Amino acid sequence: MAFDRRLLFYINWPLLGLTLLLFFCGVLNLYSASGFRLEDGMSVAPFYQKQLIWGLLGMLGMLVIMLIDYRHLRTLAWPLFWFTCITLVAVFFMGKTIYGARRWLDLGFMNFQPSEMAKICILIIGARILSKEPDRLNFIRLAYVVGIGLIPAGLVIKQPDLGSGLTILMILGGMILFHGMTGRVFKTLLITIPALLPLSWFVLHDYQKQRILTFLDPTKDPLGSGYHIIQSEIAFGSGRFWGKGFLEGTQSQLRFLPEKHTDFAIAVFGEEWGFVGTMILLGLFCVFLYQMVVIAREAKDLFGSYLAAGVFFYFFWQILINMGMVLGLMPVVGIPLPFISYGGSATLVNFCLVGLVLNVSMRKFLFKQ
Amino acid sequence: MTYTFDQSNQEPPKQGLLLLQILILTLFCVFALRLWYLQIHRGEEYAAKARENQLRQEAIFAPRGLIRDRNGELLAVNEPAYALGLVREDCKDIDATLEQVGRWTGIPVKDLKAVYQKGRRRVKPFEPLILAPDLTFEQMAIIEANQLHWPGLEIRIRPRRQYKYGVMMAHLLGYVAEANESEMSKDPALALGDEVGKQGLEFMLEQQLRGAKGLRQFEVDVNGRKLDERVLKKPKAGHEVDLSIDLGLQQLVTDWLEGEAGAVVVMDADTGQLHALVSSPSFDSNAFSSGLSTEQWNTLRDDPMHPLQNRAIQSVYPPGSVFKLAIAGAGLSNKMVDIHETVFCSGSLKLGRHVFRCWRRGGHGKVNFERALVESCDVYFYKLGKKLTVDRMSEFATACGYGVKTGIQLPHEKAGNIPTREWKRRRFGERWQGGDDLNMAIGQGYTLVSPLQVARFVAAMINGGKLLKPQLLKDDKVAVLSQVPLSDGERALIKKAMRNTVDGPRGTARRLRTKGVDVGGKTGTAQVVRLTDELKKLKDEEIPYKYRDHAWMCSYAEKDGRRFAIAALVEHGLHGASGAGPVVKAVIEYLFNGKTLKRPPKKH
Repeated sequence: MAFDRRLLFYINWPLLGLTLLLFFCGVLNLYSASGFRLEDGMSVAPFYQKQLIWGLLGMLGMLVIMLIDYRHLRTLAWPLFWFTCITLVAVFFMGKTIYGARRWLDLGFMNFQPSEMAKICILIIGARILSKEPDRLNFIRLAYVVGIGLIPAGLVIKQPDLGSGLTILMILGGMILFHGMTGRVFKTLLITIPALLPLSWFVLHDYQKQRILTFLDPTKDPLGSGYHIIQSEIAFGSGRFWGKGFLEGTQSQLRFLPEKHTDFAIAVFGEEWGFVGTMILLGLFCVFLYQMVVIAREAKDLFGSYLAAGVFFYFFWQILINMGMVLGLMPVVGIPLPFISYGGSATLVNFCLVGLVLNVSMRKFLFKQ
Repeated sequence: MTYTFDQSNQEPPKQGLLLLQILILTLFCVFALRLWYLQIHRGEEYAAKARENQLRQEAIFAPRGLIRDRNGELLAVNEPAYALGLVREDCKDIDATLEQVGRWTGIPVKDLKAVYQKGRRRVKPFEPLILAPDLTFEQMAIIEANQLHWPGLEIRIRPRRQYKYGVMMAHLLGYVAEANESEMSKDPALALGDEVGKQGLEFMLEQQLRGAKGLRQFEVDVNGRKLDERVLKKPKAGHEVDLSIDLGLQQLVTDWLEGEAGAVVVMDADTGQLHALVSSPSFDSNAFSSGLSTEQWNTLRDDPMHPLQNRAIQSVYPPGSVFKLAIAGAGLSNKMVDIHETVFCSGSLKLGRHVFRCWRRGGHGKVNFERALVESCDVYFYKLGKKLTVDRMSEFATACGYGVKTGIQLPHEKAGNIPTREWKRRRFGERWQGGDDLNMAIGQGYTLVSPLQVARFVAAMINGGKLLKPQLLKDDKVAVLSQVPLSDGERALIKKAMRNTVDGPRGTARRLRTKGVDVGGKTGTAQVVRLTDELKKLKDEEIPYKYRDHAWMCSYAEKDGRRFAIAALVEHGLHGASGAGPVVKAVIEYLFNGKTLKRPPKKH
């Protein structure tokens, strides 16, 4: 394949730049968040170093993905989908049980989590199906698309991993919204979904119910399940306008803040960089997301557009849920913040998905003769 | 491979793109608003909370005031207790740690888990949650040696109350135990895990003994180490307390009452100070300060001998003949007795269809006032009671402190009972009968008194008629509550009769005679149940324990200006003189001759 120089030219450089910026903000923040662990000797490698290594791997993956024309994925969509479903089934028989949930496949050198793959797979298959739908979805077509998504989602929820299962459905749901549905379908859903939501209460585990109750009133159990939220709000709030300064956050340095390198990492950031810092970070995320909208608009085929929309939702939901939780607007759900929270495979996947949309952006010229 | 782009519909959905932009905008606005609210609007408040988090304040325990006896012998002290705490945040594997703690301490893992679950709600993750409040020294040493392998475990030293004579002083000192919810909500100075007086003087003197906690402020570093510690307030030790109790005397009496149920009160007749107050059987108050198990508590509570009961103040008994002193006083006070007049005792008195017997079947013959007391003639007092009637008897008995709480500084004192016509109507819905007067005159019937009341009355007979508040502390000032309505001469008559009860050839308390000491006494035998004819035929030893009469002995003893009143009650001790007399004799020997009489081995 001859290398076309226009490929480089059309790369969405702002997205690439923002991604790297966010990632380095994250590593810097992790450095602060894992500061105490350096002296403690409790952890082999500090988190920020590990994150850096995973990030470099991710960038490599991103490059590889950028090089391969995304349109291959259209043909690969179905095989990939079924392969994912098979691995999800395999987890039930060969999976490794950690913390009482069977989610991992042991590949020898690393633990592989098929549910992560399912999240990527759903946006590819979603893009493939929806880009071929000529019209807005009616009931039948909607049922078909949702039905496809329910296969991996159901398998993941069964593991049990409710969070990932719902994420899969939410990514697909976002893409369906992006595609559009008929007025009747929309109105029906608008009424039935809120009506059915309370029923889900009976499906939840006790600890999940507890989290929702705690969210409604964290002061009820200030040292138990409400502790996370209260300490997180204190961390943010005490940062005030300018923040306490890098490495100066007392909430995190004196470890009042729990899970500060994973789900609550942004609270460390909020404490040390204040309102100014958090607004800049929030702004970065918004521009980051907007670049995906730009790519979706300019993509030269619908498959590319839908891919970009899928990746958009992949990030959007995580940002929404994580920040909502950390800022005390939602119950505690273990969802990390992209590029800011520590997490090896998550970082890898994040970079690869950014690579995927960059890939779409690079090839928008192909049709322009 | 070449690809063709699908050309049928090239445009991505316009509304979809718009939706994505709206979503971004919403995301931004919601979170920007929330961040503004948290960081700017309420920033000040949260900054203060963060500072609070970081600077921790901790109470410094104030040592509880020491308690001594009147000679300076230590009775209650504070010893360090080693508690095992778990800092949740530092602990890597809670389950494994709890199991290890179970192996070390022998506490079942199930119980440890329960403690852990309960503590989780109260104790912050970075503060120690107390798993075992009281480690032995050996356990502490093992844990300390292995602490490195079990992060999160921490040994805390807390003061714990220790009673040197836990059993002997249990009814007086009471005990301390961990404050419960209601105590903590009533008293803001109490915190979780604090010891608080629950019974006895520990309870009554709680505010004096406790002292005031100090306050220490420190910053905590990442390893939970305290940095930059500063004492903001020094702790103030609790006041020390010297009891009026003489440990040696208390010990002597305790030994004499061993195996019996009963009580002995020794009171300084001039000051009201108690030199001994013993209730038998007793319990070990140390068991409470290290935490009593439900099982132990149930055993104590359900013990048929009721060891938790302080019989000197919380048990009330029919006074029997001891009450004749008060009835004699009532007769004198009401000028209804001529001391020279004699009454003929034939061994019984008929009233209506009932026959009231004297304890001496054959009768006493001609009996005057003094002889009636010395030989405890029932017929004389039947007649006197008939003359006085309940109204005068109960008025006088009440003035002597019967049926009224003495005001001793111990919780749950009982007032006893002095019946009146009104009382009987309310209680039983029955009229007061003439027979009731007779029964009351010999201390049977509805009258109930505590040993302490008896001692106080006897004291009043020899101290100029002063009814004193019984005192337990050496520094307590003499408190005269009232005056017994008897003239000096009238009291002298009663005292003389008491004296002749000991010294006279036919006195019932002859065994109290002590060389060089002026001793007086009055015995009493209080019926527990009306003995059936069948039981009456039995010899004393053959009567079942629970039907045997209670034995009373009250006494005064004075020499060289030191005066004491002594009351002893032995439950089911049969006869006053033989049942309760020996311990009183031993007390007198101790008080005036410094002798410690050993109790002869018990015959059964």
